[in-house]
Amino acid sequence: MSLDTALGQLVDDKKLNDETLLRLIAQAQESALGELYDRYSRLVYSMALNSVDDPALAEEITQDVFLRIWNKATTYQVEQGKVITWIASITRYRSIDMLRRLKVRPEGNRAVWAEEDDEPFESIDPIDIEEEVQLNQRSDNIRKAVAALPKDQRQALTLAFFNGYTHAEIAQILNEPLGTIKTRIRLAMQKLRQTLRY
Amino acid sequence: MAVEEHLSELLPAYALDILDESEARTVSSHLAGCSGCRAELHAYRQVMEDIPLAMAQADPPVYLKEKILKQAASSEKSPVAQPSKNWWHDLKSRLLPAAPLLGMVSLVLIILLGASNLFLWQRLNQVQTDHNRLATVPLMGTDLIPGATGMLVISADGEHGTLVVDGLPVLDPSQQYQLWLIKDGQRTSGGVFSVDEEGYGSLWISSVEPLASYQGVGITIEPSGGSPAPTGERVLGGEL
Repeated sequence: MSLDTALGQLVDDKKLNDETLLRLIAQAQESALGELYDRYSRLVYSMALNSVDDPALAEEITQDVFLRIWNKATTYQVEQGKVITWIASITRYRSIDMLRRLKVRPEGNRAVWAEEDDEPFESIDPIDIEEEVQLNQRSDNIRKAVAALPKDQRQALTLAFFNGYTHAEIAQILNEPLGTIKTRIRLAMQKLRQTLRY
Repeated sequence: MAVEEHLSELLPAYALDILDESEARTVSSHLAGCSGCRAELHAYRQVMEDIPLAMAQADPPVYLKEKILKQAASSEKSPVAQPSKNWWHDLKSRLLPAAPLLGMVSLVLIILLGASNLFLWQRLNQVQTDHNRLATVPLMGTDLIPGATGMLVISADGEHGTLVVDGLPVLDPSQQYQLWLIKDGQRTSGGVFSVDEEGYGSLWISSVEPLASYQGVGITIEPSGGSPAPTGERVLGGEL
C-alpha cells in the first residue's frame, strides 16, 4: 500500500483526530491539510470576514492561515491548547494584521454575532463525539451570554475582539471618553466570564 | 501580595491584547509573581476561546480549498535564485582571454559530471524504492490484544514518523504504552503514549537514527513515563 493510499484511506474514514492531522501536515501530507480545511475553513473564513468585512480580504486571510498551518504545523504544542484554539488565534492575529496593514477601519456596525436560533458550529473533530457535544453546549452558552450584553458593551467588545483596536482607538471611533470605553470592555468580559462560569 | 495591588481591572483587556505597550508590560511583570491574577487571566482566556463560537458564520468560496492545496503543494519547492545579468556579463569578460584552456577543462568536467550524475540517479532510484516500501507499516495486535491495530507512517525522508493505534484498552493512570524501535535485537524507545476511551492514540516519533534504518517496532505496556528497556509483554508490533 502506498503512503498516499494509506493516509487517504485513514483521512477519508475520518479516523484521525486534529492533533494527528497536524503531525501529518508537518510531514507534508496534503490529504491531511484537506481534511483540516474541511473541519475549520468555515471558522477561519467567518472570523476573517467578521474582522475585515470584505469577502476578498477574508479569502486572502483564510488562504494565509492554512498555508501558515501547512508551513508551521511543527510549532503546535498540545500543552498550549486545543487545535481549534490555535487556529482561531492565528486567524484573529492575521486578520488584525491585515486591517492595520491596509489601514481599513470597519465601523463595528456589521452584524458579527450569531442569532440565538442560528445553527451551532458543525462537528469539527468528527472522531470525538463528547468533544462535539461540549462544543455545541459552549456555542449555545456563549451566544446567549453575548446576546445578553448591553448593546454598547457588545459594540466595544466587537471592535476589541474582531478588529484588535486599543481602548484609545475605540474611544475615537465611537466618539466616547476613554474611561467609558475601558469600563464597557471590562464589564463585557466580566459578564461573559460570570455567565460562562469560568 | 495584597488584594488592592492586583491588576484585575486590566486583565480583560490584557487577554484581548488591546492594552498599550507600557500597560501590557506592567501586567506581564505583575503576572510573573501573582498566581491569583494568572488564574483570573486563564478564565478570561477561556472566554476568548469561546467568543468565536458566538459569531455569525459564512461559508468560504467553494474553489478556495483547491486553490490552497495547490499552493501548499507548490510551496514545497525551494525558490530558484535567478543569476544577475550584470554579474554574468562581468564574469564572462574576465574569463574570455582564457577561453581555449577553459574549454578543455570544461570538457573534462562535463564528462566527470555526467558519470557522477548517472551514479547519483541510480542511487536516488534505489533510495526512493526503499522509501516507497517503508512509507506505511501496518501493526498487528498480539495474542494479548488481538483486536488492536495500528499503522506507522514514515516521512518521505525516512527521518520521522507518526504512529496511529486503535483498539487498545485504556490503561491504569500508572501505566502507558511504549513504542520500541528494533534494530539488530536492540530496542530503543520511540516514545510513550496513552489512548482515549475508544482505544485511539497517536504518537509523533523523532528518533536519533532515521526510522527507515530500523527493522521492526513493538509496543509494550510500561510504567507511566516509560522504561529504559521493555518490561511488559508486546501488545502490538510490525516489521519495517
